[in-house]
Amino acid sequence: MRTDAPSVPAKGVAQAIPKPAPRRRSPALRRAFPYILLAPALAYLLVITLYPGLFAIYQSLFVVKFLTWEWTGFGNYSAILQDREFWAALGNTALIGAISLTLQTVIALAIAYFAYRDPFIRGWRIVYLMPMLFMPSAVAFIWKLAFNDGRVISDLLGRLGLIEGNIDWLGSIPLARLTLIVADVWQWTPFLFIIFVAALQGQDQEIEEAARLDGASWPSIFWNISLPMMRPVIVVAITLRGIDITTMFTNVFVMTQGTPGGATETMSYFIYRQGFRMFNFGYASAASVLMLILTVIIAQTVVKRAFHSGKK
Amino acid sequence: MASIHLQNIEKKYGAFVGVQNMSLEIADEEFLVLLGPSGCGKTTTMRMIAGLELPTGGKIVIGGEEMTEIDARDRDVAMVFQGYALYPNMSIYENIRFPLRMRGIPKAEHDARIRQAADMVELGSFLDRKPGALSGGQRQRAALARAVVRQPQVFLMDEPLSNLDAKLRQSMRVQIKHMQRQLKVTTVYVTHDQIEAMTLADRIVIMNKGAIQQVGTPDQIYSDPANTFVAGFIGSPPMNLIEGVAQNGRFVAPGVTAACPGYVQGRVTLGVRPEDCHVGGDNVQGMVYGVEPTGDTTYLTVLAGTKKIEVKAAREYRSDIDVPISITFDPAHLYFFGEDGQRIRGAA
Ligand SMILES: Nc1ncnc2c1ncn2[C@@H]1O[C@H](COP(=O)(O)OP(=O)(O)OP(=O)(O)O)[C@@H](O)[C@H]1O
Ligand SMILES: [Mg+2]
Repeated sequence: MRTDAPSVPAKGVAQAIPKPAPRRRSPALRRAFPYILLAPALAYLLVITLYPGLFAIYQSLFVVKFLTWEWTGFGNYSAILQDREFWAALGNTALIGAISLTLQTVIALAIAYFAYRDPFIRGWRIVYLMPMLFMPSAVAFIWKLAFNDGRVISDLLGRLGLIEGNIDWLGSIPLARLTLIVADVWQWTPFLFIIFVAALQGQDQEIEEAARLDGASWPSIFWNISLPMMRPVIVVAITLRGIDITTMFTNVFVMTQGTPGGATETMSYFIYRQGFRMFNFGYASAASVLMLILTVIIAQTVVKRAFHSGKK
Repeated sequence: MASIHLQNIEKKYGAFVGVQNMSLEIADEEFLVLLGPSGCGKTTTMRMIAGLELPTGGKIVIGGEEMTEIDARDRDVAMVFQGYALYPNMSIYENIRFPLRMRGIPKAEHDARIRQAADMVELGSFLDRKPGALSGGQRQRAALARAVVRQPQVFLMDEPLSNLDAKLRQSMRVQIKHMQRQLKVTTVYVTHDQIEAMTLADRIVIMNKGAIQQVGTPDQIYSDPANTFVAGFIGSPPMNLIEGVAQNGRFVAPGVTAACPGYVQGRVTLGVRPEDCHVGGDNVQGMVYGVEPTGDTTYLTVLAGTKKIEVKAAREYRSDIDVPISITFDPAHLYFFGEDGQRIRGAA
């Protein structure tokens, strides 16, 4: 079996492995070592997130008109909390986000449930990721074309005999919001689908078999067993998606620009408009900070709740 | 409740044969034990009876109905899985209740039934825990309770006691047997513990490499083994198998000689159980290799030529090692096997 006989002493196994000499390092270096390893990543994070973040917090305390900064303390914050447009943006974000998130979660779960046993679908997973791989602005433009400028959707619905003439998607509040929802659902359902399929495939198959022998139907197995077991995964996926949706910007910017009458203006778009259209930088910064706080609080409670009651 | 007929069933995984050409008649209310070494196809056989695995050949009939292609859900069998397969998101109470809920058993009966099943496996005080908070043995008992909480046509139990300590195992064995007699449910039980097989079974099926080696009552399996595999598998320590040559009514091997029937000729294997060997006499001339007192008996290993022969000696027997010793066989309990390993029986 062995061709190259190593020069191991024949006497026994115990002495075969020579003990390496203990390595020495100066205590100072040893203590610094982890930080040295972390330094590049930390530097990157500092430049990319921490600095702008801190800068925004600082700026939010000023009324900024181009180069003149005027201290106002929490003035921006109190103004925002009385700003009808801010609350409208918050409401729009919540409404569009909630509907969109619910739809994509339910659709992704449904497809995952029907598809996860199918080896063909598993093999072609990458195809389902395509919508996520496209550049977001490109996707937004495609939807803009489909709904508004190119009238593709109206045309299709017309040919199916569902409607007559063209729909003015931006002409009504529900329809305008619907276009944003459709675009987001199209782009992100596959992401959730992939995660849910993986979660289902990771489950012990014997448990399903046991349920089958206990007399459960497939839907009942999914409802009583598979779905509860997926709970932590669903929570994490929804949280990630939720944070993402809260900051929805590209589609709004490209497709609706907040029209009609601000009915599709999301938080991010509100901040953008304040900052880069009206040049209220301090005001925009304050809104960003509020939004950050809100996102963190919501995410934290959702995750905590879900995992806590899941464990009990 | 139901008899089970397996007709030439076979399970292939690609080129690998998991179970081959297996035919078996399991009578109504019978307690049948599948016994065999790891990987011999016991679980696979069970899964085919349960409907979790489709046989690649043959027919399965349960209660007079052809079931080969019927979905697991509609076969009305209950199974204890080797890996427990408890529902991790439900309490033990809900786990045991699940089959009652799914089979539409009236709600009013649930609680009493669940508590009865839980008490049987001594799990009454763990009902509100999740499976993750139980030890391996407790999970196993929960799985057992979930299987016995309803009265199915067939019980399938895949090593349901393998993770329990000796004492609990013994008491559960008695419980299972008692319960099966009470409920009168046909039971197929997998184990590789011989004691379990011997004590529980109406009949034992010995399997090896996907094929049935012998089917019989525990007594038949023990005192009338069909081949060297069964002989060497059953008993602890198992039967001594001594290869040698038989000629004109004499069996000879290095250090061993014995009388044999005239129809035993050529290269054969002599089988003799340790309890049919006695110190003294003239069948074996060898050296004492080891002495193991266990309390109620003493096991003696004798080296004859290069062959080690196990002898069950008297309780107080003691000896130095490496001293000459002779052994006699009980002539009424000698078994002879041919070169193919099959038992050589008298000319019929
Ligand atoms: N899905 C599968 N694909 C390929 N081979 C399999 C598969 N399932 C089982 N086998 C093989 O079939 C043989 C029988 O397996 P089985 O699980 O029935 O053994 P067993 O008798 O239950 O063993 P144990 O006592 O260890 O549980 C084994 O050799 C196993 O490797
Ligand atoms: Mg097994």
